[in-house]
Amino acid sequence: MKKDVIFTVESYFRDDMNIMGYRFGKGEKSCVVLGALRGDEVQQLYVCARLVAFLREIERDGGIMPGKSVMVVPTAIGLSMNTGSRLWAPENMDINRRFPGDAQGATTERIAAALFDKLKAYKYGVQLTSFYQPGSFVPHVRMMETGRQNPELGCEFGLPYVYVRTPRISDQTTLNYCWQMAGTQAYSLYAGKTQEIDEAAADQTLRAIIRFLNGRGVIRSDMTPGQKSAVITNEDIMTVASKSAGLLRRVKHAGAHVRRGEQLAFVINPQDGAVREVLKTPATGMLFFMQDGPFVTENSPVFQILSK
Amino acid sequence: MNNRGGVASSLFEREGFRLAVIKEISTVASVAMPLGENWTVSRCRYSPEDGGGARLCIATGIHGDEMMGQLVIYAIAQRIMKEPEHLHGVVDMYPMLNPIGLDMGERLVPFSTRLDMNRAFPGVPDGTPLEAMCYSIMQDMLGADLVLDIHAGTMKKSELYQVRMHETTAERMLSGAADLCPQLIWYVPNKPAFNATLTGALNAAGTLALVLEADERRRRPYVTTPAVIEGIFCKMKAMGIWSGETIAPRRLEDIPMVRSEEELCRVSATKPGVYVPENCTGREVERGQLLGIVIDALNGEKVEEILAPAAGLVFSQRSYSAVYPGTLLARLCRKERV
Repeated sequence: MKKDVIFTVESYFRDDMNIMGYRFGKGEKSCVVLGALRGDEVQQLYVCARLVAFLREIERDGGIMPGKSVMVVPTAIGLSMNTGSRLWAPENMDINRRFPGDAQGATTERIAAALFDKLKAYKYGVQLTSFYQPGSFVPHVRMMETGRQNPELGCEFGLPYVYVRTPRISDQTTLNYCWQMAGTQAYSLYAGKTQEIDEAAADQTLRAIIRFLNGRGVIRSDMTPGQKSAVITNEDIMTVASKSAGLLRRVKHAGAHVRRGEQLAFVINPQDGAVREVLKTPATGMLFFMQDGPFVTENSPVFQILSK
Repeated sequence: MNNRGGVASSLFEREGFRLAVIKEISTVASVAMPLGENWTVSRCRYSPEDGGGARLCIATGIHGDEMMGQLVIYAIAQRIMKEPEHLHGVVDMYPMLNPIGLDMGERLVPFSTRLDMNRAFPGVPDGTPLEAMCYSIMQDMLGADLVLDIHAGTMKKSELYQVRMHETTAERMLSGAADLCPQLIWYVPNKPAFNATLTGALNAAGTLALVLEADERRRRPYVTTPAVIEGIFCKMKAMGIWSGETIAPRRLEDIPMVRSEEELCRVSATKPGVYVPENCTGREVERGQLLGIVIDALNGEKVEEILAPAAGLVFSQRSYSAVYPGTLLARLCRKERV
């Protein structure tokens, strides 16, 4: 294992922040895995830490294939992780809205540029990421529809779903989008929780990455076969939004199979407990996403139903 | 305050004049929050009683830490109500696009994972509350003859009063921008992020929109806002919306302009520390002139002298604050192209 400092952000009041890359094997830049780009992506950091530990062991046992290399970048925002800020606190900026970056630009643009310069050299890119809403997803692989996406390859992670999403204008400055445009086969993995460690989802995500690395001939390691993946698009997803605001009491959770008309959650008056609304599924399918905050505002998307 | 919802109309009539102004406050978008509060975007429309005329939209507060537009909108409303006979078109004012952010002094929308409202346009009607809010704001402004989105250098920056235009639409809007009498016009480069801003999305949808940027200086707002207020009235006059007295529009050739990256000079910190600026905003500086220093108080040392890399007009400058390598310290409009 080689430890590289990809970029250093010097700080005055605090210690310098080093963005570390953990490199295994030599030769072709085959695959890079990136963890936390936001300061609250704890689960993503945790999966990377375990992946580094795993790769260190298999490298020692000769499990990295000759002529292949893999790099893991657990976090690019350690300074904010230490203080629990999702964004790059000094600028209040989301690094995942600063790609491809600018080496002469503002601090977050410099971070993005330095990262992107390293990351785009790899054939396959895996980003462990989080949704802009707090919540839980059924673990899946996601990519944007740029015309360069390769969902078939995404099936090699062995997760149940590969979600090809139509990008919005604001997505054009994300890593996944820019990565694909630069020629890397880019995948985002949604690994259950964000702000806390979910062991079961972390195990599943770790196995998916190892499976992918095995399948791409980057490493050699025993691994259970994955699931047969279904490729889904925006058209397969239905959103259930709350018409009322209040406390959210869920009766179904991400991953549950639900039948049309079944109750999913209650929106209740936060002070007198009266039920303001009963959220029901409009279709039979699986709960693909569940918002897990205690409150909902009016018109908040609370659930996503996969109905294919 | 509970005068934001619904519609409230008032007539302002001055004796001896036939025309009156209708003032109408309405709700553009509203989202109920969990504990008995609504997140509401309101609009106040001033229009002549006989209707007609061009329509100008003035928006501000999309970033909750930028307060400058509050006083600008207040002053414009005051003058319209004082001189109603001079209003010949519709002026729609949106003083609080991000009201909860303004309340908290928070740049972003302080919900969920905290998002930048000015990166969520054009929005979608059935999206998240923020996306739906952006969509409703867009729909309300579409078709206006001009939209002005007022920003302010946050507490960490001072800015000359400037008009910022997307470079793809700048030539079309250039002569009209001069009517706003800015101290500088800047063609903002074509970056993907711009397309998700309010002005970017409006321009893409065919409605002309400009960003006005001006100095924040919270301790002295009356010093910095008059130029913006007078500029907007001058523009209203050029649009046929206002017939009252205004300052004369500036000649385009008299306004410093940044039309390309070659005419722009960015000055950034290369070392971390605390930036102590010289008072340079609005001044012509020579190459090598001192703009400020970066200090290290612990060691009692000057870490870096920030010198102007080129001769030009300093139109943006960072205030006394902590900086990182890459932190923008100043922008200059170069005297000579690179």
